[in-house]
Amino acid sequence: MGVISRGFRNAFRNVVRTVSIVVILGLSIGLSLAMLVAYQAVSTKISAVKGNVGNTVSISPAGMRGFEGGGDPLTQASLDKVAKLANVSSVNGVVSDRLTTSNSTLVSSIDAGSLGRRNSNNSGETFAPPAGGEGRPSDTGTQTTRSFTPPVTLVGTNKPTDLSSTQGGGTFKLTSGKVFDSGSTENVAIVGSNLATKNNLKVGSTFTAYSTTVSVMGIFDAGNAFSNNQVIMPLATVQTLSSQVGQFTSATATVNSISNVDSVTTATTTALGTTADVTNAAAQAQTAIAPLENIQKISMYSLFGAVGAGAVIILLTMVMIVRERRREIGVLKAIGASNIRVVLQFAVESVTFTLLASVVGIGLGIAAANPITSMLVTSSATDTGGPGRGMGGGFGQLRGALTSVQGVVDWKIVFYGLGVALIIAVIGSVLASFFITKIRPAEVMRAE
Amino acid sequence: MLKVKNITKSFKSGDTIVNAVADVTFEVPDGKFASIIGKSGSGKSTLLSLLGALDKPTSGSIEVGKEDITKLHDRKLDKYRGEKIGFVFQGYNLVPNLSALENVMLPMEFIGKGKKEQQERAEKLLTEVGLDGAKQHRKPGRLSGGEQQRVAIARALANKPTLILADEPTGNLDSQTGKMIFDLLHQLAKKENTTIIAVTHDLSIAGKTDITFKLDDGKIIK
Repeated sequence: MGVISRGFRNAFRNVVRTVSIVVILGLSIGLSLAMLVAYQAVSTKISAVKGNVGNTVSISPAGMRGFEGGGDPLTQASLDKVAKLANVSSVNGVVSDRLTTSNSTLVSSIDAGSLGRRNSNNSGETFAPPAGGEGRPSDTGTQTTRSFTPPVTLVGTNKPTDLSSTQGGGTFKLTSGKVFDSGSTENVAIVGSNLATKNNLKVGSTFTAYSTTVSVMGIFDAGNAFSNNQVIMPLATVQTLSSQVGQFTSATATVNSISNVDSVTTATTTALGTTADVTNAAAQAQTAIAPLENIQKISMYSLFGAVGAGAVIILLTMVMIVRERRREIGVLKAIGASNIRVVLQFAVESVTFTLLASVVGIGLGIAAANPITSMLVTSSATDTGGPGRGMGGGFGQLRGALTSVQGVVDWKIVFYGLGVALIIAVIGSVLASFFITKIRPAEVMRAE
Repeated sequence: MLKVKNITKSFKSGDTIVNAVADVTFEVPDGKFASIIGKSGSGKSTLLSLLGALDKPTSGSIEVGKEDITKLHDRKLDKYRGEKIGFVFQGYNLVPNLSALENVMLPMEFIGKGKKEQQERAEKLLTEVGLDGAKQHRKPGRLSGGEQQRVAIARALANKPTLILADEPTGNLDSQTGKMIFDLLHQLAKKENTTIIAVTHDLSIAGKTDITFKLDDGKIIK
């Protein structure tokens, strides 16, 4: 019988103790594995969020937001400058305009309501109300009532499915027809579902805008009333029809990572000077993923804690076993065993305990990884108000995505688990080996 | 020939130095059976551990053949113990989770003998000490004291050692079994031309050995 088989057999000398060690160590390895899975799942999610969400910089003409304010439009030259900046992946310029009954056959699907009427009255524009008709401003100027229909928002863009650059935002979902190609110059449009219903539009229907007949190519649902009252047309078409060739009412620069958003914002502000207002939402995105980063830290610390606990368990176990078998070690040395041979025998015993525990631990880890990950994410979302909670627009929609973190236990993780187990076994054997080398063969005589 | 010259082993106990073995000198020719007698604490076991290279003397030399074992390094001492020394202990000191056969094979494994050779020699030795068949595959816990000591003797003879050191080999056995074990040890040692040094309290056993040393306060007085 060789030293390896002897070490393996020694692991089963005391069955009750072996089972206890394997169960306790298995729990430790299982927890390590579950924490590793949680850490990887959350890290992957954070990377994905950082790569895709909140990594945009909004550029507006100085003094203008949407249809509020004033100033001069952005130019193609301005956008080209931004596109050349470091870490900028792309720049999407947009032209927005309003379609009213005076330049279009479309009727808005949104009722003015009291807010619409108030905004209209406070818009500062001068107009000539019909004589004695409804909507005449009162003499005191404190209250006005007039007939007002909210306009239809027209967006000209080369990224028709990207609603983040529109005022309504939302998630684009095509309900019928198709989307026009980027760079199209055709007189085509995709319209919001509410607007389509209000105007009885279907794919293939037409409407008039700027005295031009426009065909409906598709109908979309953005999930909110404002966006569903929009018309989206090719950028070049809108620029031509609205006499804004080479001009943009807003632009969005996409940055390669959320961590570069601030530097790109600064660089864009420098590049465009006083001609543009440059803002970003990195801070909100960072706030949204902050709970996940906490979970990442918790899982990492727990991972180290569990590995440390496992190492301490096996270390103490092996030290206890060595102390218990001092006499036997003395006998082995007395009859010719070298220190290396005895250490190897105990190391095999330690590895046997750990491998058995790792089988239990991997099973437990696989079973517990997803529930623990979900519990950590859900608990964190509840404690902190949840990722994205209380934020409007696109960040509000992050919440669902951020809380749906799924841990995946693949072979790589299992190998990591075995690696952790072996590290634990080695650490556990070190002190025991030290004690073994210190036992002199004369111990066997003193024990008599 | 075993030559022990001016061997001293001192221990520090608080501020005082205790000589467990003090300036001991003696010789034992090859193939002889020597006994060391003395009361408890006289230094018998310490002397035995020095002869067996289990411990190093404070001063003096121990020559086995022509080699001074006090000058050997730890790694060489392992080899020396494995090849040249056989031990028989009062408490048998068998490895409890190994069978009798495996216990006897153990010293042979340590000096690198092949498994087949180990097994054949172990079976032969166990048969010679009176353990046949199924008993060879029993673990020590399922053997009587006398049987365990037989296994220990077989283990001590496994590598055909030059010297067998026995520490109270009959101390845990009844007188009849003790006598049988002593005779067996004597007979096998003669057969293998092995020198034996046994520590014992039993004067009747000591009286049967070729040489007897009496130890008192770490010194040989007779």
